[in-house]
Amino acid sequence: MTESAASQLQEKCPVGGELIIPVVGLLFTGYYFTTIIGSPWTAQVSALFVGSFLAVLSLIFIVKATTMVWRGEADFGVRGVFNDTDLETNRHWLLLLTVAYILVVEWGGFTITTFVFLTAAMLVLNKGNRPAFIALLAAAFALGGYALFIFAFEVRFPVGPFERLMRWLLA
Amino acid sequence: MSLSLDLFGSLFLHELSFWWVIVPSILLGFVVGAIPGFSAANTIIILLPLTLAMDVEVGLAFMVALYCSSRMGAGIPAILVNIPGTAGAAATPLDGYPMTKAGRGQQALAISFVASTIGGLLTTVLSIFIMPWLAEVSYHMHSVEMIVVMLFGVSLIASIAARDTLKGLIAGFLGLMIGLIGTDHVYATPRGTFGLLELYDGVPLIPALVGLFAVSEAFMIIEQRSILTEKGLNILRGAGWSATLEGVAIALRRWWHITWTGLIGLVIGVIPGAGAAIASFVAYQQSRSFSKTPELYGTGHPEGLIAPESANNGVTAGTLIPMFILGIPGGATAAVMLVVLQYQGVNIGPTLFEQRPEIGYGVFIVMAVTYLLMMVTILPLARYMPRVTMARTVYLAPLIISFTLVGSFVPRDYVFDMFLGLLFGVIGYIGRRTGYHVAAMLIGVILGPMLEQYFLRAMKMADGNLMVLFSSNIGNALWVALIVSVALPFVLEYKRNRRSAAGTA
Repeated sequence: MTESAASQLQEKCPVGGELIIPVVGLLFTGYYFTTIIGSPWTAQVSALFVGSFLAVLSLIFIVKATTMVWRGEADFGVRGVFNDTDLETNRHWLLLLTVAYILVVEWGGFTITTFVFLTAAMLVLNKGNRPAFIALLAAAFALGGYALFIFAFEVRFPVGPFERLMRWLLA
Repeated sequence: MSLSLDLFGSLFLHELSFWWVIVPSILLGFVVGAIPGFSAANTIIILLPLTLAMDVEVGLAFMVALYCSSRMGAGIPAILVNIPGTAGAAATPLDGYPMTKAGRGQQALAISFVASTIGGLLTTVLSIFIMPWLAEVSYHMHSVEMIVVMLFGVSLIASIAARDTLKGLIAGFLGLMIGLIGTDHVYATPRGTFGLLELYDGVPLIPALVGLFAVSEAFMIIEQRSILTEKGLNILRGAGWSATLEGVAIALRRWWHITWTGLIGLVIGVIPGAGAAIASFVAYQQSRSFSKTPELYGTGHPEGLIAPESANNGVTAGTLIPMFILGIPGGATAAVMLVVLQYQGVNIGPTLFEQRPEIGYGVFIVMAVTYLLMMVTILPLARYMPRVTMARTVYLAPLIISFTLVGSFVPRDYVFDMFLGLLFGVIGYIGRRTGYHVAAMLIGVILGPMLEQYFLRAMKMADGNLMVLFSSNIGNALWVALIVSVALPFVLEYKRNRRSAAGTA
């Protein structure tokens, strides 16, 4: 590939990322319509109205984007959404840690799981720097959250071993 | 049912004597309002044993102060970190957050506090004197009229879409479609639920709010050192009390804007089931429609911040009017207050104002006292709270994610809702990255189910005849107002373009 061809490719607008929302909208509308076939009229009317509009708008956008690619003004790249900054900032690790947090919090309880999540996420984002400060900060927020929400306001946060132990100690 | 100035004065002094319960309730309300998943209603329920043990007037002062301050509290994270504490503050970050990013967080908070306080105070005082007539409004607002009121809010999608019409409309309609998930309101047929029982009641609002705004924002901000721009950081470092006072002055200069957007909130608040979210969307849309500088909205324009904040505080007094006159609570918090009052043996109705004015009028006067005390309590905080935004994003982002996702767990006790919050976060992240406005999507999620509910009710009553939508005089007047408010910005822009073209020529 010549240098000019490479720079031309780089200048192309990546529309792949912009197509995610309309495609999701179109697929969801299609799925939604399958769930209302045979339903009473009242269950269909709003969805048919809103869904048709969404489908038409999404199709217009998809045709517009495809035409741009056809003309060579754009490509189907997703650089607008996923790119090198995800790796540089450790965004992917933050997402994985968030999923793990939600999976564990139900039995790990708010305080312990939040402490572990905050410590891990802050360390990952801060590239492992200042571990002692991060551990202290995470502990302060996790315990502060426990004291304010669970102890003071008795809010129904996920309960785990720490909360049970504290309930037993304070009973 | 009339209030003399003497009685007003003595009741005012009487309610002022409850400052010792009002001030702590205000501070509690700020915390409760600022955290997604919490609400004044939930807090009153949690603290019900305490409330019921209090003297009825002290209990009322506690509930009212908590109610008012939680409205204002919801705007604080919306302005500082783009996380609305409640759906009622969903329109606040549209202009509040850009101000913060530019290092004008102090001014933004001061504007929000002044707009909330004056909007709330004016509508409360007005309510005391025109209560019987306002209560009539709730009698005349049926399904047809409510459809038009909802459409006022939905038309904000079109305003947002003005910058990139196609993407704005796709985001708004996707939001409306998501809002239609769940069982239909007449036959309870499940639709678009993916077979998940957790979605039969529809998409819960808090995970949508938390995901679209907070989680997506947390994933975005980690690219920068702080959420402020470099210039904004320098401005905030050098900002002192003068910045706060500048915000106060900006808001006071727009007193008329505060007044009429607060009145929108009051009237919408009177309608049972409408609420602060609709009021703030409608006020923002109307403010933009009648503005001479609509192009500035969304870029950190003070009027774009004043409108939703004043309106959602106007709602507060509005929701209590049908409750005290007709016994119909205008919202969730009003409903909880009604339960407490009934437990205390207070008979709700017009006679309450004659027999026990310290309760009937007292509730509105304590509200006025709360707003006055709130100004004294909160304004100094505007000076220091924006410092939060100077924190490094590597620390801020995980805190936002963990606390807001747990907040989405609270209303229903479902871990599923935390996953839903994350899913909305991913959608919001992709939307932000590719230019789809998350606020347009959220308007759809909030207003979609309500619009459908009223639409189906109207159609059911009219045996499917669409002409029912134009069957009432009030409804028709609202239709005209809606068409005018949607068309007006285009007419004004056309005129401006012609004028500037003539000037150039």
